[in-house]
Amino acid sequence: MMDWLLGGCCGPGGRLVFTTEPWIIGVATLGVLVALILAAIPRPRGRARIAEVAFLTAAAGVLLGAVAGPVWIQEGDRVEAGRYVALVDASRSMQVLEGDGTPRSDQVAARLAALPPGTEVFAFGDGLRPGVPITYDAGDTDLGGALAAVAQRYAGEKLEGVAVLSDGIDRGGLRRRVLGEADAVLPRLNGPLTVYQIGEDGGRTDVSVTDVRAGGFAFLRAPFAIEVDVRAVGTSARSVPVTLTRDGQPVGQKTVALDAEGRGTARFEVTPEAVGRFIYEAATPVTAGDAVPANNALSLAVRVVRDRVRVLQVCGSPSFDQKFLRLFLKEDPAVDLVSFFILRTDRDMGAGWDSSELSLIQFPYEKLFSSELWSFDLVIFQNFDYRPYFDNNANELLGNIARYVKENGKAFVMMGGDRSFDLGAYAGTPIADILPVQLGVSGEAIDPGAFAPRLTEGGARHPITQLVGEPTENTRAWAGLSQLDGLNLSRGASQGAAVLLEHPTLKGPDDKPLPVLAVGEYGAGRSMALLGDSSWRWSFAEAGEGRGNQAYLRFWKNAARWLIGDPEDQPVVVEANRDNYQIGEEVRITTKVRNVSFAPVAEAKVDITVDGPGGREKLEGRTGADGSVALTLPASDRGAHRVKVVAHGASGATVGEAQTAFAVTTRDPELEEVEPDSAFLRTLAARTGGQYVAAGERAAPLRDPDAGRRVRDRAETRLYAAPLVPLLFGLFLSISWWIRRRAGYR
Amino acid sequence: MLRSPPRVGAGLTRRTLLTSALALPFALRAGAVGPASEVDIAEIQLSRGTISRPEAWTRLLFELLQSTSVEAEPRVVQLAPDDPALFRHPFAVLAGNDALTPLTEAASQQLVRYLSYGGFLFIDDTTGERQSDFDTSVRAMVRKLFPTRALTTLPTDHSVYRAFFLISEPVGRVALHRTLEGVAQGSMHPLLYSRDDLSGALDRRADGSDALPCTPNGELQRREAVKLAINLLMYGLTSNYKQDQAHVEQLIREGRLE
Repeated sequence: MMDWLLGGCCGPGGRLVFTTEPWIIGVATLGVLVALILAAIPRPRGRARIAEVAFLTAAAGVLLGAVAGPVWIQEGDRVEAGRYVALVDASRSMQVLEGDGTPRSDQVAARLAALPPGTEVFAFGDGLRPGVPITYDAGDTDLGGALAAVAQRYAGEKLEGVAVLSDGIDRGGLRRRVLGEADAVLPRLNGPLTVYQIGEDGGRTDVSVTDVRAGGFAFLRAPFAIEVDVRAVGTSARSVPVTLTRDGQPVGQKTVALDAEGRGTARFEVTPEAVGRFIYEAATPVTAGDAVPANNALSLAVRVVRDRVRVLQVCGSPSFDQKFLRLFLKEDPAVDLVSFFILRTDRDMGAGWDSSELSLIQFPYEKLFSSELWSFDLVIFQNFDYRPYFDNNANELLGNIARYVKENGKAFVMMGGDRSFDLGAYAGTPIADILPVQLGVSGEAIDPGAFAPRLTEGGARHPITQLVGEPTENTRAWAGLSQLDGLNLSRGASQGAAVLLEHPTLKGPDDKPLPVLAVGEYGAGRSMALLGDSSWRWSFAEAGEGRGNQAYLRFWKNAARWLIGDPEDQPVVVEANRDNYQIGEEVRITTKVRNVSFAPVAEAKVDITVDGPGGREKLEGRTGADGSVALTLPASDRGAHRVKVVAHGASGATVGEAQTAFAVTTRDPELEEVEPDSAFLRTLAARTGGQYVAAGERAAPLRDPDAGRRVRDRAETRLYAAPLVPLLFGLFLSISWWIRRRAGYR
Repeated sequence: MLRSPPRVGAGLTRRTLLTSALALPFALRAGAVGPASEVDIAEIQLSRGTISRPEAWTRLLFELLQSTSVEAEPRVVQLAPDDPALFRHPFAVLAGNDALTPLTEAASQQLVRYLSYGGFLFIDDTTGERQSDFDTSVRAMVRKLFPTRALTTLPTDHSVYRAFFLISEPVGRVALHRTLEGVAQGSMHPLLYSRDDLSGALDRRADGSDALPCTPNGELQRREAVKLAINLLMYGLTSNYKQDQAHVEQLIREGRLE
């Protein structure tokens, strides 16, 4: 009852503390005194009067006491029972399969069940988290850090015990110190340590690909080496087969001899036949009992670039135009040129020369346009008439060239002359299907008049016709070039083709100016038609004017880049900022979108799909004013990732697609060792005075009977808020009022 | 500055007509898209030292038409070395028999530019002597044009000796030196020099007969000279094409090259 009246327990040994500021108490006291004096002075004296004032004063005293904020404080210590703590290794090495095919982490639950009730469990790996691990996927094992964190967390407390459940594959430094340094400072423990080894010793086999190297990038059609490091443990095999695939297609297989430590390296020589990013994967077979099937394969992205563009120049008749084009191609270190010039035809046989006097070779057209064709990036027909050579199998050989463009993504150029276009009888052949101009001209197929070609609107933007960067200057540069000597006539541009240069006066059947330079995309490839044989004037005549030959060189360089599909010359370009990433790094995917005239497309919707080992991930964005957008995602899964981008314009129409690839190639150090380190665990227990329990053994954990923790108590009773205060105040005030009424005062 | 209109077969004679008639089928059989782009020859003329042999060069163009697939215009244009029109004719010749007038600075600069950007110049010493003032002046001119590059004798496997015919020994009207010299630029020799009067072996009189006898081997030597002249033009067009791997391998396979 008394505790209730006082608002709590006010036992002995406590102390009274007033919590209100003294000046507030002073002001309140003064106020009460003034009020009492004012209440007492105007009335006559008497016993009743004295009693009334006395009770009123008592009520005021109670009020003042409450205002002073009295609190009764009692302090003291007590001891609680000790706690038991368990640290469970949650790293990926706990996923290693045991002899029975189950992951070693399956042994954790049984060990935890044998620990004292109420054990506080923490998962450790690269940090410490409360609770039993749900997944065993931590990328690191730092037992020393975990023990230090526990010591800090339970500082000042004697734990009943600490249990560690681990395979002992520590990578945080503790293992090295325990095994290698006799005087190493070990973590301070708050209680006796019991170390439970998770995972049986021995009897485990594992074959792994530990590294794949390719030197960063490779050159097209140039052999490069891919080296694959493998390691085998727990097996008596002296060799291991290694398979290399590229984008899922087999590249080769090698058998690697293993050294005494079970290590070996396979070396593959690969000759890339296409440009781009490719995912190579090295793998060893997963056999029954392999402890870590996931480390039997490792991917690597290799970027294949052109060191040189391989060009086939076939010319039907040596000419100045052929001379200057060859000079350009031959002097460009980025070009690997193979030329075939027809130096003599059947019509030249009657000149009286014996063939032994001639330095001529057979024109190997069948080989060139069949088996050898695919090795070239660009084929140029320069004033070449096929009929004297392969009229009989024209459809087959010319069809090869059409397929080479459409299906293989290669490039074709036809240049003018008296044996080109309609004069070469290409109308109706497969070549006509890949020409950006329509053949079938009736009557004269040539106009010999000199003319200055005119840059079209499309030509003003197209990369081929960019002689200088600034558009006005570019138009002026074209207008200032030397005239051409004549034009191969056509029936105008083919459907879908772009005319870059046009004749100033001659028009086709559609009443549009006749094309001088036209380009088109056919299937996966590209082609260009230059309908004249005097482009050499842009080189030599310009040099004569003191302007050098830059216009000619720039034109042909631009043409070569566009024709061979330089990645930078595609409408949609996607690129990851690197080829290979470590887990956790940021992958930055940049997409550029341009229209057919290569103007940046702003506000284009970009849909990105990334297919990787962890599944499909989708990203979405919109291009900025420069036509590009960068999106990021984390490299979270080890292995090959293929990126596909589809760009849509404002109308929703597809602008284009592009693809690239990258690999997350992190070697998983957690899986480099598969055997539990019992020596470490045993030594750790011994050096800390603890107990080591091998896998499969049954043993109770060490417990400290004196464990416990001293708890400091502090009880505060707020007397100012006790029920007694209003009771006394009300009582005294009521008695004072009653006496006053009895005395007849109002 | 000397300049004259283009000359096509100067002097209409029976022989010229005959030659022209023989060449007509070849001239008409085809042509470039515009005739201005067809192969022709510019004959460089200086005020002293040079001679003009249009018939020799016209014959060369006809021989070229007859023997090869090249579409040529039998046209010889006489130009001064500083004439900007030189850049319309990428193949030029300079034949002489006396000390040349030193080139003006403008002419030197233009010739250097001409040879640097793809032009080809054949110089022919027509004296037929072991030593001549023309030769001395040519060497001085070349030193002025290319101070750091000397005239050197071409190796026997040079592309000019395989450009169309296989030539083992270059000769002209005479066979004194039996070599060609040249100035290299990269893998090319844009300037070649003969001291055996090559144009003399090609030149014709007004009646169409050969203007000069070839010594010491007569018509056999002339035949070799014609072959060399065709090779020069072919080399001017195809440059080092014959050094391309495919051709060399094929010729070796066929036993025509050692």
